[in-house]
Amino acid sequence: MDTPSIPPKPVAHLELKARLLILLLLLLMLGAVAYVMVARGVFERTQKLVLVADDSEGIVVGMDLTFSGFPIGRVGRIELSEEGNARILVDVPLNDAHWLRTSSVFTMESGFVGGTRIRAFSGILTDPPLPDGAVRKVLRGDAKAEIPLMVSSVRELVANITALTSNDAALSGSLRNVQTATEKLNGASGGLGLLFGNETDSKKIISTLDRTNALLTRLDKLAVTADGVANKTGSLVTKADGIVSKTGTMITKADNQIFGQSGVMKDAQATVVQLNGLLADTRNSLKKVDAVLVEAQAVGSNVKDATTDLGVLRAEVESSLRTVDHLVQEINRKWPFARNNELKLP
Amino acid sequence: MTPLSPFVDISQRWLRFWGEWLLGWWQILYIGAQLMVLAFSPSSYRTSQRKVMFLKLYSATAPLLASYVLMSALVSLIVIRIVVTTALTYGLSHFALEVLIRTLVLELLPLSVTLVVAIRYTMPEGKLVREMRARGEFSEQWRSGGDPTRDELLPRVVAGVFAVFLLAALSGFVALVLAYLSVYGFHTWGFPGYTRSVGQVFNPVISLVFCLKTLFLSLAVSVIPIVFRPRADPNDPTGANAEIKVLARLFTVILLIEVLSLIGNYY
Repeated sequence: MDTPSIPPKPVAHLELKARLLILLLLLLMLGAVAYVMVARGVFERTQKLVLVADDSEGIVVGMDLTFSGFPIGRVGRIELSEEGNARILVDVPLNDAHWLRTSSVFTMESGFVGGTRIRAFSGILTDPPLPDGAVRKVLRGDAKAEIPLMVSSVRELVANITALTSNDAALSGSLRNVQTATEKLNGASGGLGLLFGNETDSKKIISTLDRTNALLTRLDKLAVTADGVANKTGSLVTKADGIVSKTGTMITKADNQIFGQSGVMKDAQATVVQLNGLLADTRNSLKKVDAVLVEAQAVGSNVKDATTDLGVLRAEVESSLRTVDHLVQEINRKWPFARNNELKLP
Repeated sequence: MTPLSPFVDISQRWLRFWGEWLLGWWQILYIGAQLMVLAFSPSSYRTSQRKVMFLKLYSATAPLLASYVLMSALVSLIVIRIVVTTALTYGLSHFALEVLIRTLVLELLPLSVTLVVAIRYTMPEGKLVREMRARGEFSEQWRSGGDPTRDELLPRVVAGVFAVFLLAALSGFVALVLAYLSVYGFHTWGFPGYTRSVGQVFNPVISLVFCLKTLFLSLAVSVIPIVFRPRADPNDPTGANAEIKVLARLFTVILLIEVLSLIGNYY
């Protein structure tokens, strides 16, 4: 232990190396300080934005204001306003301030995981930019605030479930009844015993079923007979169909004959027109006859002289009457005035 | 022997133990304060002293520089991958950077630097100082007009503090670069967002606590092993017990500083 200490090995360019190390440390420390200052936004030109919230819980100095997930501002200060609201002073760098417009909406959200976040939403980017020192109300959405309400609801739900599952609850009674019913179903009387509650009634039902079966057998036989009848009726109906179709054909033919292009109806109409003409002629002739008779009376004394004219007149009347007679005969020949002129020999 | 002799014997041993314990702390505080005064005295850096100072700075830092930076980079990379992957798995990737900066740069790296400097430089140097004292070299220096506190202790303490600061700064820088590369790759588009995350972590309080913690850790790791002189034990010719006692005191102080820094950061 008494050995004197060994002198250290000489280091080449010791002073230079040591100075370099000191320089390196100074550079690192100054660089770190400068970087942290830049990172804290000390050298940024900013504009102020004041967000007013009813509660500043979760807001800390230095937290970001984000727009579309990108930080565009930083909370610089939090203070209590005279109205009792929290005033959150946000420093927004001028480079990013153009994202904020007069119509921008600001929200403050607290999730289940992580801290509170302040977000900006600018729906209309063509609106005028937000002025420096603008005051905006921040909308708050707190997921954690829902927890007490949820817990209360869950408690209520659990109480209801407990009430439902307690021994004297309706559900429990129903389940007991279901169990009893199941036991009866599995018993000797089965489902009928469950439905009627006693064995006598279930036996009655079984005997009724037997009788119904017998009745059904007879009904089957009857149905077979009815099938035969139905077959016959079917053939009759087929025949009737044939008759009907024939009748239809006949009616069509009759219709063609009567109302068709060369039907009777058309002839009858022409005949009626002709008849009307003839009647008019006849009326004229009769008027002439009347005139002649008047003249005949007036010239009674001159009968002898007019005998020649009378003879001519008579000839005309006879001619007209013959025409009428001919017409009447023709009408009688036509349908529907036709008469059966057939002579039937005994 | 009187009947009271065992009791008296135990009491004397307890008194001696607590007396040495208190004396040890007093020694650290007293000589530490002297060293602080000397460290802030310009005369301590006069030309005749400068060569020793440079030598100690170099010998404390240079041998550790490459190996420690490499080791810390490797550990940082592992921690970064674990944190980033875990954060992505749970959908909390936006917290990954903050967690990384807090765990690595603020907590793990300063602590590991402290321990490395203690084990690799200040503890061996402290042992040398104790051997020099044992050989009477300090008394000889006093007699020859020198000042062993200024000439022997101060360069070692300053070198220890310097080594802690340089290695902590360098490893922190490497960790920040690795964290950026792990998250964003070799692209520059993520740099503004990354800088913003760093700025959010390094708020004024955290920055102050971080600087104070590094300063006190470096002082503890430099002063305690070199200044503290446990009582010579004839049953310990190798001085292993003395080393353990120094290490225990050092760990106690490091633990205390860590606890205080955590309280300052998070309460």
